[in-house]
Amino acid sequence: MSLSSNLKAIENKIKDLGGFIETVSDNTVIVEITKDNLKEFAKWLYENNAFLKTCAGVDEREINSRFTLYHIFGLDEMGVDVVVKVSGSDKDYTPTISDIVPPAEWCELEARDMVGIRISGHEDKPKFILPQDWPENVYPLRKDFSYDYRPQSEFSKFDEELPKEVGLPIGPYHPILHEPEYFELYVEGEKVVDVFYRGFHVHRGIEKLAESPRFTYKTIPFLAERICGICGFVHSSCYVLTVEKAAKIEVPERAQFIRSIVLEIERIHSHLLWLGIAAHILGYDAGFMQLWRIREPVMVLAELLTGSRKTYGINIVGGVRRDIDESKKRKALEILRNVRDEFKKVVDVLVSVPEIVKRASGTGVLPKEDARKLSVVGPVARGSGLERDVRKNYPYFAYRYTSFKVPVYSEGDNLARTLVRIDEVFESISIVEQLLDALPKGPIAVESYEIPPFRKAVGAVEAPRGEDLHFIITGLGRPYRWRVRAPTYQNLPALKVMLRGAPLADAFLTIASIDPCFSCTDRAIVIHDIKSDSKKFVNLFYGRRYASR
Amino acid sequence: MGGDMQVDKIAKLTKIVTIGLKTGRVTIKYPFGAPLVTESFRGAISIDNTKCWGCGACVLICPPNALSMKFEKDNIIIEYFKGRCIFCGMCADVCPANAISVTKEFELASTDLEDLKEYVIHRTSKCSICGKPIGPTSELRSVIKSQPVSEEYINLCSDCRKKLFAKAISIRFGAST
Repeated sequence: MSLSSNLKAIENKIKDLGGFIETVSDNTVIVEITKDNLKEFAKWLYENNAFLKTCAGVDEREINSRFTLYHIFGLDEMGVDVVVKVSGSDKDYTPTISDIVPPAEWCELEARDMVGIRISGHEDKPKFILPQDWPENVYPLRKDFSYDYRPQSEFSKFDEELPKEVGLPIGPYHPILHEPEYFELYVEGEKVVDVFYRGFHVHRGIEKLAESPRFTYKTIPFLAERICGICGFVHSSCYVLTVEKAAKIEVPERAQFIRSIVLEIERIHSHLLWLGIAAHILGYDAGFMQLWRIREPVMVLAELLTGSRKTYGINIVGGVRRDIDESKKRKALEILRNVRDEFKKVVDVLVSVPEIVKRASGTGVLPKEDARKLSVVGPVARGSGLERDVRKNYPYFAYRYTSFKVPVYSEGDNLARTLVRIDEVFESISIVEQLLDALPKGPIAVESYEIPPFRKAVGAVEAPRGEDLHFIITGLGRPYRWRVRAPTYQNLPALKVMLRGAPLADAFLTIASIDPCFSCTDRAIVIHDIKSDSKKFVNLFYGRRYASR
Repeated sequence: MGGDMQVDKIAKLTKIVTIGLKTGRVTIKYPFGAPLVTESFRGAISIDNTKCWGCGACVLICPPNALSMKFEKDNIIIEYFKGRCIFCGMCADVCPANAISVTKEFELASTDLEDLKEYVIHRTSKCSICGKPIGPTSELRSVIKSQPVSEEYINLCSDCRKKLFAKAISIRFGAST
């Protein structure tokens, strides 16, 4: 059976399984299902070309005295999000779907740690998101947990964490990417056989903070922008997009255009940054310097259009705060023309340098089947032959008025991911030019709006690293629940496949090749364990430490 | 033939040298060169003491709490702490008195924390009946300006105002004073 024809199939299937459809809008279907049938429905969806986007645990005791787990699936071909809702009391066990839908493991463990939803299949796994010294039965995302409460740590728990063997550590501070992460590579000679990843060192509890009285709908965009230092505008855009979707606010076209323009400028600078870093990792510092020189005018352009080099701060619910006038438009077009010319020259050299090409081709291979299984996003997916791009699949803002290509390479190696990013820089420049030319007249923000409580919405924006996803349940004055899933959250598990059996010397480039943004991902805390035994695969996500228990 | 291709390949690599030489030096002799920021840059804010009413709209909207309000015995103090400011300029957008302007100032480093703080101090008006503080004098003055009939009640706190109003109504309906 194929889902691509219509939504009838979902309706029929959900009726067969004894669930019911809560709401249907143009691009979101929210269905509720019982625990016993969740697995079957998830399996059916995943086999019918749905990708798992994320899941979110919610303490809904104030609404209906239940705890709810939302699994968010995306049907890329139709541009429809399917939100599968399972609820129960805090004593009930919800079955895991991670054996059928592998990317669900991280978010299920997150729901377990942060909200205290019991998930069968994950009982004896160590704390994933919260630190090991966090006391038992204290769940920070529950509504009765005050946002400024700091529990006493239980130091005795640290001993349990100590591993029996120690691998080759990379971290806790990445020497090149300058972000907090911790990888342990287990090697046999020169070959990597196992990877252990522990992240979430810099969990800042942003979701909890946004639900606290400290913030309102109006000030959260500025908080959202600080989730990531490189693609902050993506997060604030995604937040306002989701709120506007939930409250059905019609945003003026001019604001939509300006948002898209700034998003694409952010993509150009982010890709140039990554390409420079990749050259630097491979010891080609001449390329690194040149690429970052080219990036500088893009940063100046962003400042010209928004008032700041980074964390632009122009997004508000219902529109934007800065307009683009004729003189800025002319300057922007001139800067972009120069950037394109310069970038073309440097890239021409870059893709012929053996240091880059020979080191990047054939290393860090992520086959298409694994990419599909893990629901990876962004350039990682497109480098592995999956044609996934939120701008095309779930059109938002002004992208439907532009024509652009989605570069797809099927090799799945580091070179493919590099080439995807190079192509995207050219595409983005062309998108900005098209949008600037077609910039419509009119207001840049709505005068007033109302946000009714307890509406649900899913919003996705294509970040430079892939799909950024926000899920919001609206509340009074501020979101009741705000779930953020950064693109790296989805891509990190794929590193295990890429690093398996590869030489140690390639590990650095491979780790960098997903363009990881650890702090972005860490907004929610995780300890992630990965097991990759070259002889036997227990479970794609099982770490050596899980296995040794 | 193979040799030629080898030469071509090497020639291509050396193009980076040409690019570099053509571009020349791009670093700027900071702080002596041209200004680093464009015309739309948002830097620290400046509050005009004479225009400010002390209404606190900026304090409410400020996302990082860089603006805060303190109540002292006779004064209301608005504190602007640049160390927390994210330079979003939301305060300037909401200010009803147009007292806040966004400057291009960004070289704010200092060895003294007090250098990063700015204060706007307002005198507090007190209720003429019970003596409870009711708000900054300058805010009351601006209310009188925009609402000419309000001066009769402006010096009273909300409780005294209610009592007085109830009394006036009841007299009208024949109650004894």
